[in-house]
Amino acid sequence: MRLPARFSPELLRHVPRKPATVMYPFVPVEAPEGFRGKHEFDIEKCVGCGLCARDCPSGAIEMVPDERTKGKKRPVIHLDRCLFCAQCEESCPRGAIKLTKVYEMAGYKREEMVVTAP
Amino acid sequence: MEVLELILLILATVLFPGVVFCTYYALFLEWVDRKFFARLQNRVGPWITGPKGILQPIADIIKLLAKEDITPNGVDRAGFVGAPFFALTLALFSLMFVPIASTSGILSFKGDLLIVLFISTVFGIIIIFAGYVSASRFSIVGTARAGLQFVGYEIPLFVSAIIPALIARSLTLKEIVEWQIAHYPLILCFPAMIAFGIFIVCSLAKLEKLPFDIPEAETEIVAGWATEFSGKKLALFRLSTDLKMLLLAGLATALFLGGPAPWGFTLPADLNPYLAALIYSIWFVIKTIIVVLIMSTLKAAFARYRIDQALRGFWRYLTPLSLAILILTPIVAYHFYW
Amino acid sequence: MSEERMFRIPVGPQHPALKEPINFTFIVDGERVVDVKPRIGYNHRGIEKLMESKTYIQGLYLIERICGICSAAHQGCYAQNIEEAAGIEAPPRGVYLRTLIWELERIHSHLLWVGVAYHEIGFDTLFMYVWRDRERVMDILEMISGNRVNYAMNTIGGVRRDVTPEIVDNALKALDYLEERTKYYKKVTEEDDSILARTVNVGILKTEDAKRLCAVGPTARASGLKVDVRRDDPYGAYDELDFDVVVYDTCDLTARVLVRIDEVLESIKMCRQILQNLPSGPVRVKFKRKVPEGESISKVEAPRGEDLHYVKANGTEKPERYKVRAPTLANIPSVCEMLKGGYIADIPIVFAGIDPCIACTDRMLFIDVNTERKWMWTEEELRMYARKWYKKHLKEVVRERWKC
Ligand code: SF4
Ligand code: SF4
Repeated sequence: MRLPARFSPELLRHVPRKPATVMYPFVPVEAPEGFRGKHEFDIEKCVGCGLCARDCPSGAIEMVPDERTKGKKRPVIHLDRCLFCAQCEESCPRGAIKLTKVYEMAGYKREEMVVTAP
Repeated sequence: MEVLELILLILATVLFPGVVFCTYYALFLEWVDRKFFARLQNRVGPWITGPKGILQPIADIIKLLAKEDITPNGVDRAGFVGAPFFALTLALFSLMFVPIASTSGILSFKGDLLIVLFISTVFGIIIIFAGYVSASRFSIVGTARAGLQFVGYEIPLFVSAIIPALIARSLTLKEIVEWQIAHYPLILCFPAMIAFGIFIVCSLAKLEKLPFDIPEAETEIVAGWATEFSGKKLALFRLSTDLKMLLLAGLATALFLGGPAPWGFTLPADLNPYLAALIYSIWFVIKTIIVVLIMSTLKAAFARYRIDQALRGFWRYLTPLSLAILILTPIVAYHFYW
Repeated sequence: MSEERMFRIPVGPQHPALKEPINFTFIVDGERVVDVKPRIGYNHRGIEKLMESKTYIQGLYLIERICGICSAAHQGCYAQNIEEAAGIEAPPRGVYLRTLIWELERIHSHLLWVGVAYHEIGFDTLFMYVWRDRERVMDILEMISGNRVNYAMNTIGGVRRDVTPEIVDNALKALDYLEERTKYYKKVTEEDDSILARTVNVGILKTEDAKRLCAVGPTARASGLKVDVRRDDPYGAYDELDFDVVVYDTCDLTARVLVRIDEVLESIKMCRQILQNLPSGPVRVKFKRKVPEGESISKVEAPRGEDLHYVKANGTEKPERYKVRAPTLANIPSVCEMLKGGYIADIPIVFAGIDPCIACTDRMLFIDVNTERKWMWTEEELRMYARKWYKKHLKEVVRERWKC
């Protein structure tokens, strides 16, 4: 049946209801388990093989010289190029890179947008 | 004594219940409208500026005032600059007639209802004028639509506003309000309640709100007749739209809801005039908010009609209906109300 | 009236109604549209060329970004394509999960579209409600894949993640809620006067025209054409699932809305079947980075219609040529047909009716209208042409620019 304002009962039902909006920046929102967010890098596990850099689709991983690993190199992940596909996590044979639930990573400088070992 | 009265009149015009009060109250009504509309849509609405976002409409106006004001090439300069001022001035002027702090407006004379209705018609013409002088494709389509819609809603609006006057046997707002104080709010009378419905629907069309926001349908023709206006001019237009909303809500209050008089009791005649003004304005606020809430609910319950459908609705249903009531009213009123 | 005297309205590439860069010139007579001229190409991003310089693994994430809304359709199609070229087969659990993501994506994409359609006809309240409910399916997708939009779920040889029993439980619960709400929206769409006033008999695309202009996806199904890759050429787990192809034959916008709402209901049904009958076993097999020489084609029913991928492999880690034909491109001629003779007020909703995705569509293709010759240029040829053209026309161009 064709009715004008067929919708109004639903409308009035919403008057006493709480808004569905999530007040995000004022109320923290937790990402679910397994979210692909900011990387965590563990230099202890890294062997400097460079597999992560080879598979990164956006060229976000740069290999820089480092004496601490076997291959004398360590990855520097540039978050401003990264597209959070988690391929590096999958490609790393040692599990040195992990993606975490952190998703707030804005910064004022490019230098802040980097994950690596100190 | 003469001087004091003059000062009081100037104060009334400028401060309360005149320009300043009306402007801020109109902005407050916009906030009520936005907030309630958001609530119906399960959103929060304005939220950051001021407690619960109450300052948001003011912030919007200030922001627009601070923006770059562009007058495009090819527009008719005088008309383009003049239209927003004209719209604002007229809106404020017509508000002087609306009873807010007492049973009469700041200005009141015999037959002022006609003047107010006439001025409200001029609004439609200003819109057409503003779109016409801005010489943009979107404006012209918007203007054409505004013109068509104007032809549609103006007659039922006028007729539905006349019906209370018929029952109260006066064309003066003050007397209509006083009739209602002496008897009952006109919305309780039989033909007038239908007129109230027609009045609200036509007000939505006049204010270009959903489902009749056809002349400025955002998804179709950008902003319609207002496309080329920016900065201060747009701010003035927005303000005048808010004032128009206040005017129509105020008119609906005065004509159908018993004006600013409280429901359920009458104020004693020897009451302190300042206290009376306060009570009247509080009731005015309550009643106008009720009208605005009704409008918001209607806004949320419909999709936008197409211009031809809207016109068909006005001409085929609302105009004949309002004319029928117009004929019926004296008959009913003769038997029951006079 | 001669065409010169009619009023032209340019719509796009920046226009509030069309949120993506496409340009239409409408020739209008009063409120009526007389003719439409589309112009695409504002959003050419060179993805196909870029694919040639990426390894197959990297390509997974690039192909996904052709379109944000049907990312899984593109990525799944790509993975399927490379699997076929490389001669490997994804394990059953992987295929089921892949299909699950496809169907969840269809739910989210169609609900998004239904919301946009309501917005275009000015029914913002329903728009807000639909998008609020759509959050539920986004949440399931985020739970399964770790992201709301670009799921990155598929990989060559299966899928990258498995689901846990909790996720299955949560997803089933959310699906119940979605089913109830979708049924409600269907009822409102069928009964509300102001919606029907804007959709019944608007944007007609007759069955013959749909066939002639090669419409695909829901656009074709709303015009009475029973085409659906899922049924015509089953891939993934579709031959084991029980579902109906939704067809409406009123050929107007109401049909287009209802087809999508009904497809959401079908998808919910399919997702339930998948979640309840997930085969056990691994979700992926190993892919050895190189693909032997050869060609392959794969088709997927994306939310917007048939999506076609072609790959030519040359035995290395990278494809020699990759070609994508996204569904919107196939629907552009149909939408021009629908718009003709309608009202200006109906432009946004009719255009939105094909669920356009311009980002998917824009490819480099030149059509010479006079000779109907079509050709494609490589970057180098294009540069040469541009240089030649500018040499010849430089003066005029400069004059033109300084004039205004
Ligand atoms: S998540 Fe993807 S894009 Fe980001 S660094 Fe890892 S491989 Fe590269
Ligand atoms: S992070 Fe992993 S893949 Fe990258 S260099 Fe270290 S060990 Fe190799």
